[in-house]
Amino acid sequence: MRTPLSLFFLSLLLLLSPSDVRSWKKDEFRNCNQTPFCKRARGRKPGSCSHVATDVSISDGDLVAKLVQKEPTPDQEDQEPVKPLALTISAYEDGIMRLKIDEDPALESPKRRFQVPDVIVDGFESKKLWLQRVSTEKVGGDEHLSSIVYLSDDYEGVVRHDPFEVYVRERVSGDRVLSLNSHGLFDFEQVRAKKEEDDWEERFRSHTDTRPYGPQSISFDVSFYGADFVYGIPEHAASLALKPTKGPGIDHSEPYRLFNLDVFEYLHDSPFGLYGSIPFMISHGKARGTSGFFWLNAAEMQIDVLGEGWDADSGIMLPSSQKRVDTFWMSEAGIVDAFFFIGPGPKDVVKQYVSVTGAPAMPQLFATAYHQCRWNYRDEEDVENVDAKFDEHDIPYDVLWLDIEHTDGKKYFTWDRVLFPHPEEMQRKLAAKGRHMVTIVDPHIKRDESYHIHKEASKNGYYIKDASGNDYEGWCWPGSSSYIDMLNPEIRSWWADKFSFENYVGSTPTLYIWNDMNEPSVFNGPEVTMPRDALHYGGVEHRELHNANGYYFHMATSDGLLKRGNGNDRPFVLSRAFFPGSQRYGAVWTGDNTAEWDHLRVSVPMILTLGLTGLSFSGADVGGFFGNPETELLVRWYQLGAYYPFFRAHAHQDTKRREPWLFGERNTELIRDAIRTRYMLLPLFYSLFREANITGVPVVRPLWMEFPFDEATFDKDEAFMVGNSLLVQGIFTERAKHVSVYLPGKESWYDLRTGTAYVGSKTYKLEASEDHVPAFQRAGTIIPRRDRYRRSTTQMVNDPYTLVIALNSSQAAEGELYIDDGKSFEFKHGAYIHRRFVFKGGKLTSLNVAPATSGNLPFKSECIIERIILLGHAGRPKNALIEPGNVKAQIESGPLLLQGRSSSGVLTIRKPGIRIADDWTIKVL
Amino acid sequence: MNSPFVFVSIVALVLLSDDSVRGSYSTSLPKEPFLGIPPEDVKYYSSSHGIKCKDGSRKFTTAQLNDDFCDCPDGTDEPGTSACPNGKFYCRNAGHVPVIIFSSRVNDGICDCCDGSDEYDNKVKCLNTCREAGKAAGDELKKKIAVYQEGVAIRKQEVEEAKVALAKDKEELSKLKSEEKELKVQFELLKERKEQIEKAEEKERLRKEKEETEKREAEEKAGKETSETAEEINHERIEKGSGGESDTSTTESMHDERIGLVDDYPSDQDLEEDLAAEHDHLSTAVQDQGNTHAVEEKDELVTLASEEESIVSSEPNVDAESKHAVEEKDELVTLASEEESIVSSEPNVDAESKVANGYITAEGDDASENADELSKEELGQLVASRWTGEKTEKESGEDFARDNNHEEQSRETPKDTSDGIDDIYALETADSEKYEYDNVEDGFDEDSTVKEHYDFSSHYEDGSDSDSDDELDFEDLAIQKFFSWVEKMKKMWRGILQAINIFQPPVDISEAAQVRKEYDELSTKLSKIQSRISSLSQKLKQDFGSEKEFYSYYGRCFESKQNKYIYKVCPFKEASQQEGHSTTRLGKWDKFDDSYKVMIFSVGDKCWNGPDRSMKVKLRCGLKNEVADVDEPSRCEYEALLSTPALCKEDKLKELQDKLDMMSRERMEGHDEL
Repeated sequence: MRTPLSLFFLSLLLLLSPSDVRSWKKDEFRNCNQTPFCKRARGRKPGSCSHVATDVSISDGDLVAKLVQKEPTPDQEDQEPVKPLALTISAYEDGIMRLKIDEDPALESPKRRFQVPDVIVDGFESKKLWLQRVSTEKVGGDEHLSSIVYLSDDYEGVVRHDPFEVYVRERVSGDRVLSLNSHGLFDFEQVRAKKEEDDWEERFRSHTDTRPYGPQSISFDVSFYGADFVYGIPEHAASLALKPTKGPGIDHSEPYRLFNLDVFEYLHDSPFGLYGSIPFMISHGKARGTSGFFWLNAAEMQIDVLGEGWDADSGIMLPSSQKRVDTFWMSEAGIVDAFFFIGPGPKDVVKQYVSVTGAPAMPQLFATAYHQCRWNYRDEEDVENVDAKFDEHDIPYDVLWLDIEHTDGKKYFTWDRVLFPHPEEMQRKLAAKGRHMVTIVDPHIKRDESYHIHKEASKNGYYIKDASGNDYEGWCWPGSSSYIDMLNPEIRSWWADKFSFENYVGSTPTLYIWNDMNEPSVFNGPEVTMPRDALHYGGVEHRELHNANGYYFHMATSDGLLKRGNGNDRPFVLSRAFFPGSQRYGAVWTGDNTAEWDHLRVSVPMILTLGLTGLSFSGADVGGFFGNPETELLVRWYQLGAYYPFFRAHAHQDTKRREPWLFGERNTELIRDAIRTRYMLLPLFYSLFREANITGVPVVRPLWMEFPFDEATFDKDEAFMVGNSLLVQGIFTERAKHVSVYLPGKESWYDLRTGTAYVGSKTYKLEASEDHVPAFQRAGTIIPRRDRYRRSTTQMVNDPYTLVIALNSSQAAEGELYIDDGKSFEFKHGAYIHRRFVFKGGKLTSLNVAPATSGNLPFKSECIIERIILLGHAGRPKNALIEPGNVKAQIESGPLLLQGRSSSGVLTIRKPGIRIADDWTIKVL
Repeated sequence: MNSPFVFVSIVALVLLSDDSVRGSYSTSLPKEPFLGIPPEDVKYYSSSHGIKCKDGSRKFTTAQLNDDFCDCPDGTDEPGTSACPNGKFYCRNAGHVPVIIFSSRVNDGICDCCDGSDEYDNKVKCLNTCREAGKAAGDELKKKIAVYQEGVAIRKQEVEEAKVALAKDKEELSKLKSEEKELKVQFELLKERKEQIEKAEEKERLRKEKEETEKREAEEKAGKETSETAEEINHERIEKGSGGESDTSTTESMHDERIGLVDDYPSDQDLEEDLAAEHDHLSTAVQDQGNTHAVEEKDELVTLASEEESIVSSEPNVDAESKHAVEEKDELVTLASEEESIVSSEPNVDAESKVANGYITAEGDDASENADELSKEELGQLVASRWTGEKTEKESGEDFARDNNHEEQSRETPKDTSDGIDDIYALETADSEKYEYDNVEDGFDEDSTVKEHYDFSSHYEDGSDSDSDDELDFEDLAIQKFFSWVEKMKKMWRGILQAINIFQPPVDISEAAQVRKEYDELSTKLSKIQSRISSLSQKLKQDFGSEKEFYSYYGRCFESKQNKYIYKVCPFKEASQQEGHSTTRLGKWDKFDDSYKVMIFSVGDKCWNGPDRSMKVKLRCGLKNEVADVDEPSRCEYEALLSTPALCKEDKLKELQDKLDMMSRERMEGHDEL
C-alpha cells in the first residue's frame, strides 16, 4: 500500500538519526566475493599453477622464455589448447630486475592487452644492462633446471623452469631476496574470442559490465625474504606496517584493494581502496634489510598479505629457511610488468623505484608553506576578509583556495560572475602580499552547449566513449557530464592549452590548480566511478586504465601550467587520484577525511606510505573535511599538520567556519604557533623537497627508514621523521595528559622547543603540553631555520637564517641547506645554493655541495646567518672566531626559540654576520 | 656577569663585532636609533644603564636596541626591526594618525605605514601618503560625526517616546487585569446556570434515547447511514457537554492556546483553506490508517465540511487524491531535507511505499539500498547530495527536468502537510485529546495546529505577519475575525443538530438558548481580554535596552533585498529569508548581545547535515533603520548589519569628536614637520 505520509515520516526519522545519513556506504562497493576475478583467484590453492618455462635464451640483452602449461587445469579441459606466454627478464643499473609476461605478440589474439604507457621515465631504458649470457644449473637439490642471469656484482636473477618461478638471490650466499610464483599461484587468463555459450557480462547493483573480452585477469604470489613487515601499496586508511589479510587467526578480511574510488566518509582503518593506487610494496626486516616489488598495471588490483602459516596445508616447502612475508597479487587485466628492487637499504629501494617512475617534482616555495582552503570561500568579499584576518592576527599563510562554487555552474575555467566579478583584481590583491590562489578544475565536463570546453570536446571527439561508442555521460557536480580522454596525447595537449592566460579568462600568473574527482568520480556510475567497459583512445577499456585515469588528468593539467609559464614556472597541481609517476606532476592529499581523532591518527601512516611510494608531497586535510572538529582536535591537527609535507586546512561546506582565529585568543595563539613552526622550518622542508627531487627519498619518513636496524621502529606509525633530523610524535587523544614517545638510535635527542636532551633507544612518557606536539632534533644533525615571521614566504626571501646544531656524542653534526629562487626551473641549470654544514673538532664549516658542473646560471643570495645555536656542546665557550676575516662573535646562553626562555644547554653564537652563500668556518673558542 | 667591568667589556665586544658585520654586509639597520618606538616610550629606552625587556626576562644595552638581533622574548629590544617575532613597530605617520604594526611588516617589501617608515632597507620605495590619507580620514570622520549628532537627537526623542508608551502599556495592562477579574466572576455564575440547564437536558436526552433505541431496534434494517453518524456525533457531544469539568478544562485550554496566537493570527480565509487542506490530508491518511477512531474523526469532519459552503468538497474523489499524492511526493524532497522538529509517531511504514517513491534523497541508507531502482540521473543526484546536503532538485538547477510550477508547489505545500501531520499525531497518540475535536469549539484546536506549524515548520507563508505600526488594530481585527469564524462553526453545528432534530429537550428552550448565548458572549469577551493581556505581558517582558531605546522596534520588521533573496529582520520576533514565495526562518529572537550592539536570532530552520540556522545582526549608528550586508559566513550562520539611531550614543559621539580634534592637531604638526 502506498502511503505518502508514512514515507514522509520515514524520511524524517532517517534524518533524525545521523548515523544513517553519514556513513560509509559499504554496499555500494564491491567486495572480493562480488568481484569474480578476485573471488576466483583467492579461491585457488597453492601449487595449482602448471606453467613451465621453456626455450630459455638471451635475446636483445634480455632473458626470454616461453611459458607453457604442462596440463590444462580442470576448468579449462574442454577448451582450446592454451597458447604459450612470452616471458622477458631485463636487468637495470642500481639493482633492478624487470619481469614481463604477456601473451605472445606473434600469436593472434582478439585484443592486445594494455601496457600502461607514460609512466616509466625516459631515462630508464638507458640504464638497461645488456645481458650477455645465461647459465643453467640445478639449484641446490632441485631436480629441475634453473636459468641464471647477472643483475649486479652481488645479485642474480633466477628462472626456475618447472614449475616456473622467478626470483632474485644474493650471488655469494644464495639467499633469496624476492621471488614470484614460489607457491604456484600464478594464473594468466588469456583473451579469447567469445563463443556463443559464454556469458561474460557482470552485474553489480543496477550496473551491467558488458565485458566484451571476457576474463583476462592475472594473479601470482610474491615472497619477500628476510622481511619482518611489508609496507606500501597505497591508498588505504590503514596502518603503516600492513596487517595480514589472510591466514591463521584472521577471521575474514578483504584483500588490500587498489581501485581508485571516491569514497564518501571513508573508514579510518580498512583495506578498502581509496582515491589512488600504487602497486608498489616494500619489505623491511632486520635480517636482510629492504626490498621492493612494483607491478606496473592500471587495472583493478587486490593484494593479500598472507599471515605466517597461511600455506601450512599446501605441502609446498620453499628451499629457504629465511623468514619471509608472502603476498598474493590479483589484477583484472593488463600484463605482468613487474620490477624487483633489491635494496638493500630503505632509501635504496625508494631510489630504485623512483629511477623507474620518476622523482617528485620540485615544488615552488609557496607550495611548501601553509594553505587555507574551504568549500567554499564564497565571494570576493569573503576572500578579502579571510585574507585580512590572517594579517590582523599576524598568522602567515601563502595560498587561498577556491572550491567548485567559484565557477559558473561547475563549468571549470569559468567564474560565477555574481560572486566573483573581478577575479584578476582579487588575485592581484593577494599577490600584492605575496600570496597565491588555487582554483579547482575537475575532469567532468558539463554537457552544456554554451560551454566552450564541452563544445570543443564533443565536436572533436575528445570524450571517453561508452561501450557502444557514444560519448559517455555520467553525473557529477554540474549534472550531466562527460569526461575528457586524457590517454590521448593530442587531447592532453589541447587540454593543457586551456590554462593559458588567454583561454582561462580571469586567471593570473599567481593562480594554480587543484584537480579533484579524477578517479574519476561519477555519481551514478558503478561504485561511484566510470563503467569498466567505457572506451578510451586506441580501444583501451576503462577497466585496463582505471587506476591511471587521474594520473593522466593530473599530467595534462600540470603540462598546462608548464606551458602557461613558458616552461619556466614550476606547476603546482594538487590531485586526489594518483598512480605511479604522479609525483612528477604535483602534490596529493588523502581526500575527504573526517574531523575525528582516529582520522588524525591514520593521517600519519597514510602520508608515510605515500612518501615510501614516491609521493613525497602529500598531506591530509587539517581539521578533517567532514564534520566539525572539537577545538582541541583542530589545534592538535594544526600542530601535527605543520609537519605534513603538504599543509592545508580544508572543510566541507556544511561545517562551521574554522579559520584559525575563531576559537578564542588562546587557541588562535596555539594555531598561530603551529603555523609559524612550519614557516620557521621552511628552509629544512625546502631542502628536503630538493632531496626528494634528486633521490626520491621522501620528506617525511617512517622511523625505520632512518633507523633500519632498530626493530622497535618497524611497526611504529604514530611518530615520523622529517628528513633525517627531526622526530615528530602526534597526540591523538582528547585531553591527553601524557604522551609516550620512543626515541630510536644510540644518539641523544633535543626537544625542539627547549633543547632538553633525551637519551636514545628509550621510550619516554612525557607530559602532553597543549602548546605543541612533541618534536625532537636528532643529535648529529644541523637544522636551518628562519626565525622571522612574515605574511607569506614571499616576504621571507631576504630574511636571515638560524642554524641549530645538535651535537652528537662525538661533538659532531652535519646538515644541509638548499636555496633557489623558489619558483622557476633555473635551478636545473645551476641557479641554486646548496651548502653542507659540518661541525667537527669545535669547528663549523660551510661547504658547497653544488657540483661545479651543475650549470651556468647563477643564483645569488645576500642572506646572512644571524644566529647559530649549539645544543649539547661540552664546554662553556664565550667566543667564536670567524674565517675569513678573523672576526670574533660572542657566544651566550640563550633560548632555543626566540619567544622561549634561555636554557643553560643552549649556546648561541650572536650575529656571526656570515653569508649563507659563502664558504666560511667558525671556530668555537 | 654582575660586575660592571664584565658588563662594559661585553658591550664593547658587541659594538666591535657589530661594526665589523656592518662593514661587510648590509643588514639594514635603522638610521634613527629610536625607530619604531612610540614617543611616550622614548624615555624608557633612553636609560644608559641598560634597558629591561618589558617582560622582565632580561636586560639589554643601548647598542642592542634595534641592532636587528632579538634579545627580548617580547621584542622590547627590537621595536624598529623585524628581528623579534612578537615585536611592535610604531609609525609616526605625521599628517595622519600614528599606528602600531607588527614587526613582521618591517622591511617586508610592502608599505604599511603611510609615512613609509616601515620600509627603510631600500628594497622598496614607499611614498608618503599621510597627508592625503589624513585628510580623507578626517573628512570621513566629520561625516560620521554629523550622522552621530543627528542620530543622538533622534535617539533622545525615541527614548522619551518609549518611556511614555511603556507607561501607557503598563497602565492598560493593569486596567485589563482588573476587568478580567470582574468578568471571571460573572462568567462563573453564568457557567453554573448553564450547567444546571444542561444537566436537565441530559436527563431528558437519556429518556429520549431509550425510547429511540427501542424504536430503532424495531426498524433496524431500515436505518439510514447519515442518521447513524449524526447520532453518534450527537451522542458524544452531549456526553461531553454533561461533564461540567471537561467543559471547563476545554475553555481553559482554549485560552492557553490563544496566547501567542495573537501576533500572527491567520485570516479567516487562511483558516478555511487550512482546514480544507487538512481535511484533504486527513481523508487520505485516514483511509490508509483503517483505524476506527480515525474513521470517526473523519466522518465528523466530513459532515462538518459538507455543511460549510466555503470548505472544499469532502468527497475524496480519485483525481484529488492522485493529485495529492503527486504533491506529497514533491513535498517529500523539500520537507525531508529541510524539515526537522516534527517527531513522528508513525510506527508502521511499509516497504512498498518506499520503493514506489522515486525521490528518496533524504532517506540515507535506505536510499542507497534502493539505488538500483533509480534512474541514472536520480542516482547521480542522490550520490551528489551526500556531499552537498542539498535536495536534488536544487542541486541540478535548471537542468533537472522539472518545471518551475512543480518546484514552487513543493515549496508551498509543506505547510499543509505538516498541519495534517499534527492532526494525525493528535488522532493517533492520545485518546484523551480526542474530545477536543468533538467539541464545538474545536476551532481552537485547529488553531493550535496552526500555531505549532508556525513554530516548527520551515517554510510558511508569511502573509499573516507583515510588520505594521497599527498592531493593536490588527490584533483586534484578527480576534474579531476569529470569533466570527467560531460563531459560524457553532451555528453550523446547531444547524446540524436542528436538521437532524432527533430530540426536543424538555427544559425551557428559550431560557437555555438565552443562557448559552450570554455564556458564549461573555466567554468571547473574556478570551479577548485575556489574549490582550497575554500579548501585552509578552511585550513588556522584552528587554528594550538600557534606556528602552529599542522599544519602538517591537512589532516592526526591517527588510533588505540581496540578489534573489529578501532578508527580513523583526526584532523581538524572528529573522527570515524569502525567496519568491518560500520563506526560510533564520532564527527566532534570542537576545541582545555585546551590550546592545548585536541582536541574536537563534534556532531557526534546521540545515540539512548542518546546524540550526542562526542570525547575528550587528547594530551601528545610522539615521534610518536599514538592514545591509547580509552575509552567510558559515553555512547557515547569517550575519547582517542594521543601522539605527538607537546606536547613536552621546559618549561615542564625544569619542569621535576627540579623535577628530586629535587628528586635526596631528595634521597641523605634520604640516609643520613637512
